[in-house]
Amino acid sequence: MTAVPSNPNAVPTPGAPNVNVNFSTRVDKVSRGARWTRNVRAVIIIIIALIMLIPTVWMAMTAFKSRPDAVAVPPKVFFEPSLEGFVSLLTNRRQLTATEIAEYQARTDLAWADQIALVRGQTIIGPSDFPRQLLNSLIIAGVSTIFSVGFGVLAAYAFSRFPVPGKDDLLFFILSQRMLPPVVVTIPIFLMYRQVGLYDTHFGMILLYTAFNLSFSVWLLKGFIDEIPREYEEAAMVDGYTRLQAFRKIVLPQATTGIAATTVFTLIFSWNEYAFALMLTSDVARTAPPSIPLVLGTGGIEWAAIAAGSLAFLIPVVIVTFLLRKHLLRGVTFGAIRKG
Amino acid sequence: MANIDLVNVEKKFGDVFAVKPLNLSIKEGEFIVFLGPSGCGKTTTLRMISGLEAVTDGNILLNQRDVTWLHPSERDIAFVFQFFALYSHMSARENIAFPLQAAQTPRDEVKQRVAQVAKMLRIDHLLERKPGALSGGDQQRIALARALVRRPAAFLMDEPLGALDAEYRESMRAEIKRLHLDIGATTVYVTHDQVEAMAMSDRIVIMSAAVVQQVGTPTEVYNNPANLFVARFIGSPGMNLLKGTYQAGAIHLPGDNRYPVSPAWQRTLDHHLPGNGAVIVGFRPEAVQLNPEGELNASVYADDLHGGYSMLHLELTKGEVIHARAGREVHMNIGAPARFEIVPERVRFFHPETELAIPLPEGSATR
Amino acid sequence: MAQARTERKLTSTTTAPRRAGGGRQLSDNRIVLLFILPTMLLLIVMNIFPLIYSLYLSFTNYSVISTDAPVWVGVENYTRILSDPDFWHNFAVTGRYTLLSVGLQTVVGFSLAMLLRTKFTGSGILTTIILIPMMLSPIVVAVFWKLIFNPSYGIFNYLIGFTNINTAPEWLGEPQLALWAIVIVDVWMWSPFVMLLCLAGLSAIPEYLYEAAAIDRASGWFQFRRITLPQVMPLLLIAILFRTIEAFKQFDLVQGLTFGGPGDVTETVSVQLYRLAFQGQFNTGESSALAYIVLVVIIAISNIFILALNRVRES
Repeated sequence: MTAVPSNPNAVPTPGAPNVNVNFSTRVDKVSRGARWTRNVRAVIIIIIALIMLIPTVWMAMTAFKSRPDAVAVPPKVFFEPSLEGFVSLLTNRRQLTATEIAEYQARTDLAWADQIALVRGQTIIGPSDFPRQLLNSLIIAGVSTIFSVGFGVLAAYAFSRFPVPGKDDLLFFILSQRMLPPVVVTIPIFLMYRQVGLYDTHFGMILLYTAFNLSFSVWLLKGFIDEIPREYEEAAMVDGYTRLQAFRKIVLPQATTGIAATTVFTLIFSWNEYAFALMLTSDVARTAPPSIPLVLGTGGIEWAAIAAGSLAFLIPVVIVTFLLRKHLLRGVTFGAIRKG
Repeated sequence: MANIDLVNVEKKFGDVFAVKPLNLSIKEGEFIVFLGPSGCGKTTTLRMISGLEAVTDGNILLNQRDVTWLHPSERDIAFVFQFFALYSHMSARENIAFPLQAAQTPRDEVKQRVAQVAKMLRIDHLLERKPGALSGGDQQRIALARALVRRPAAFLMDEPLGALDAEYRESMRAEIKRLHLDIGATTVYVTHDQVEAMAMSDRIVIMSAAVVQQVGTPTEVYNNPANLFVARFIGSPGMNLLKGTYQAGAIHLPGDNRYPVSPAWQRTLDHHLPGNGAVIVGFRPEAVQLNPEGELNASVYADDLHGGYSMLHLELTKGEVIHARAGREVHMNIGAPARFEIVPERVRFFHPETELAIPLPEGSATR
Repeated sequence: MAQARTERKLTSTTTAPRRAGGGRQLSDNRIVLLFILPTMLLLIVMNIFPLIYSLYLSFTNYSVISTDAPVWVGVENYTRILSDPDFWHNFAVTGRYTLLSVGLQTVVGFSLAMLLRTKFTGSGILTTIILIPMMLSPIVVAVFWKLIFNPSYGIFNYLIGFTNINTAPEWLGEPQLALWAIVIVDVWMWSPFVMLLCLAGLSAIPEYLYEAAAIDRASGWFQFRRITLPQVMPLLLIAILFRTIEAFKQFDLVQGLTFGGPGDVTETVSVQLYRLAFQGQFNTGESSALAYIVLVVIIAISNIFILALNRVRES
């Protein structure tokens, strides 16, 4: 048997013999060249991470800028922090006359918020709509999540364990709901709600969000429940439990991580939702997203205030992303992909 | 064909040795097996030979050429992985052709060599299928074909039969050995299964805890284990090992037994043993001969019928059980007394502290 | 496992030796019904019914602000839309946006995945940081990118080197650039999504495949083409599918950044839908027809993709 001729001129990996290779690696990955590529790679990754961070960080900074600083030309990186934006966002103010300004400036008992307002010659007359809208966001997102996860886990269990007639079609149908442009569904629902008096109500929005998030929660939860071996419930039923009891005592506790992850994802989607909120609410039930772009002050767009609103709105999401990082892949693909 | 020399090859992770300095010369055309329990360093050694793992010290020579820092592809070796490493999106044919295509071999030659190798391994009818559709045994054959098609100087195999079902393992074992005989290429094979090692190898390198315990032919390591580890590890079941006290030409064994030692052995034992008389006696199950007039006695603890023979468990005293191989016609009741002898040429002795085998007295026949 | 599931019969719980709880038990059939009912009911009421109603409306000339009842007009709405050059313009805009956005996301996301594939200290935290943009509310993102794109006090121009505000490009104001601005934001937000999926695919490739290729003298490019790419392809396609559908129905970003402007340069179909139905004349009938046309296109796109996906899966 003739051997493939080896390369007699093969050069040993440069730099290798002097290197103490105390970790698991291939011979060719020890060379100076390989180390160099690794460093370059690290630098690129850091640059990209920075690019990802900068816009968000810039916006967070703007939230703490004074009004002139926010629109300074050229843009200011170093500035004196101020809470003007937050005051602007959260309160309604009126202009003070010149005499009032002098009078207020002489006072020493002003609350800190009033002091900030005074800087621009204003005084606070009450809260703005924003706190109420944030609260609406919280309520609507929260309650709709409870329902969509609640109903979702039941449906997911049924689909997971039983041969429901037309199961694959039903599941695909459920998934396809997510593919519709929101505007397609809003038009008829707008009409329906107007007829029934659900336009601009908390209940109407909760109903809509629940229905819309069901597709997501059913798919995600089914994936989680599929991973729980049926043998657990079967063992329980052999021991005398009914199926419902087995579901309650065994499946649900085992699915806790899955339910938690689904709850959080659903919360985030509802929290972030804009299109439906824009078209189906106007005043009473309006949530935060439609109003953030519209925070107007006396001089036009109040960037500091908008930034403050945006910041307040996205801090919970950032925190939660961090907590959920192990489940992110699963969440955004509706449970289709499970890593690891 | 190649000879491989490992000179002071070692692998450290920080301060921990994965492989302590190892010296070995593998001859041309030899089938050498690295045997040992998980984590003993055998796979690491194999990977260092292939270049998939870098050494921390030492040199690897292939045909007297220093390949220590050469890229794996420059070493003229082929590697067979435990989990086959077949590309699931390519057909069997494409998998086998892969190394030739990577080396830009002309297409006609590729076709011819693939056909030749497929015929040798009897997988020519499977060439168009995807690996996922084939059994484990067939998949491993394709992996072997891919290694063979390169005609390398040496074959390195990392527990290739580990992922196969028991029925395939036996037949593949024979096939690999057969292939080796036909082609005659140097083969370095890693396994934790001592039955495999004994059946296939020309020489076995037994490793444990990063250290080579013994290098020898299957017969050598079976009959003359270098230390307690080898004695226990080789053979199923392993060698019977009993602690005894050596005194005045005889060894006191558990169960009130007295085993007289031949004069030749006495001199060696006097020379090698520590003064306190502790010694370990070893003998294989087939060295035990049941004899109603035997000097040693025990009682039957269990009787395993293995079809062609019986494996008796004899209890000398509580907690001390030895294995004895007997013909299948032998049936003993549990608890019955059993007297036996040990074939003198098959007895071995071990130092109780160093665990090394006491060297055989000069002139004794080793069976 | 799916096999076992379909073979299993619905067992009645009367096979249990004794009842652990008191009271009447529900048979498995009833439980299935009970569990699925709320979900299906909600979906039918809130999704099916509106869709049907919408279909009906698309054949009328109804307007929500008028007091007249809907009048049947047949396919008039559809023909009007399909012969309207504005519609085709918007469709082209949407198509362009989808292609550019998904294309760039795929390239950036995949490259990121290739970079991040080997674990190193801090790779976990870096990955999470990179994933944050994807989780933010698109409207909020649009709002602060509006600030960033501002020609005078926005940092985007400064960061890419245009420090003279007189010559710096006006991203959201210039017709040539506006669509690109939206694409940039979309890529910023969603490349991490593609990256995440590709990472999952890449990390599933066992190392010994690469080792085998290294021993066989396969070059880096060869390995990439014959090992990496085929193994990652199914997940990459899923990523592209998701993102294409999302890009096609993108509303929040466009609305927040440009309202479809300047002029109608960035008016995607979703924005047009909104304008038609909720602004101006509140033309419900026509907008319903438009909505259905969009729906059909999306269904067509997803079907094509699923076909391609199955083809890749089989090979």
